[in-house]
Amino acid sequence: MADATLHHAEETDKSLWEGGHSPFRIGYGKVMMWYFLISDTFTFASFLIAYAALRFAQSDAWPKAAEVFSSVPIHGLDTLKLPLVFVSFMTFLLIVSSYTMVRAVQEGYLMNKWGVVKFLIPTILCGVAFLGCQYLEWTHLIHEGMTPTHASELTKIMNFGQLFFVITGFHGLHVLGGVVLNTWLCVSTMNGRFEKVGHYEMVEKLGLYWHFVDLVWVYVFLCFYLL
Amino acid sequence: MNFDEPVQGHLHWNEEEYGVGRKEVLKTIIILSVVTVGEVGIAIGYDLLMGDNGGMKWLINLIMAVASVVKVYFIMGTFMHLKHEKKWFILSALLPFSFLIWAIIAFTVEGASWHAMRGLLNMF
Repeated sequence: MADATLHHAEETDKSLWEGGHSPFRIGYGKVMMWYFLISDTFTFASFLIAYAALRFAQSDAWPKAAEVFSSVPIHGLDTLKLPLVFVSFMTFLLIVSSYTMVRAVQEGYLMNKWGVVKFLIPTILCGVAFLGCQYLEWTHLIHEGMTPTHASELTKIMNFGQLFFVITGFHGLHVLGGVVLNTWLCVSTMNGRFEKVGHYEMVEKLGLYWHFVDLVWVYVFLCFYLL
Repeated sequence: MNFDEPVQGHLHWNEEEYGVGRKEVLKTIIILSVVTVGEVGIAIGYDLLMGDNGGMKWLINLIMAVASVVKVYFIMGTFMHLKHEKKWFILSALLPFSFLIWAIIAFTVEGASWHAMRGLLNMF
């Protein structure tokens, strides 16, 4: 019955909007996840636009990314001058985890339970590795004297440290949330929760969230490290 | 939370659809990696070649901004599946971002104005 209504609706676009089913042809949860992510985009956009305004206000004294992030923040490697290498590795971790996440979603379409688990585990590990890298990066910068309330010799401007820790911190919090949710998802999948439900839409919903984390990083990376 | 509600949408694939989707995301991850490596290469190369000189910075910034938009297009389009959704859903997700266009213009102009008035304001 529902299928017949839907089929009819597909043919006449008008009746698609007359109730009884989603005119967008996707589940309620996915639509709401998208709208949550759009609202979250505005929070990040506010941060990054504030960054732009403060940077323009001090454009002549703004520190250079290649100088502030000039070395790999690992003991023993930090004397080598390898600008941007470490943060590029972090970017790469997120891109790879985005790929494994979308593969988990696709395994979910096939109802392949262990396929989903197989791709969720590297996703979680990449997330954890990203957080570990952020820990190293932060301790290194704090050690150099850049904190939310003080500028280091390299940065000179206090705003740089403030914006850096607030924006990457807020992004890191999102990664942490994603890691926790993905772990729950992985355990639930192993327990056969979604097999009972009959579909793996939850993997897709949390996948959207995880890709969003990657997407925000593209802009954080752009603003702090590349421009 | 009730997981038993009927869910609409295309949640089950056959082998053929799976094969197509798998190829698509593999292509996307390669594009994303290449663009990222290119970006970092340009950033480091610029720093090595131009150093403190700082000329042509606007061109580098333009390339970086375009590369980021390309990355976002592929992440949203393929990974988040937006490319394959209904037209009105795509618009409902993307149109709100048009508000940001004015926000970016307004606040960068504002920032430049603070810069011009630094002597007067002395607030930083």
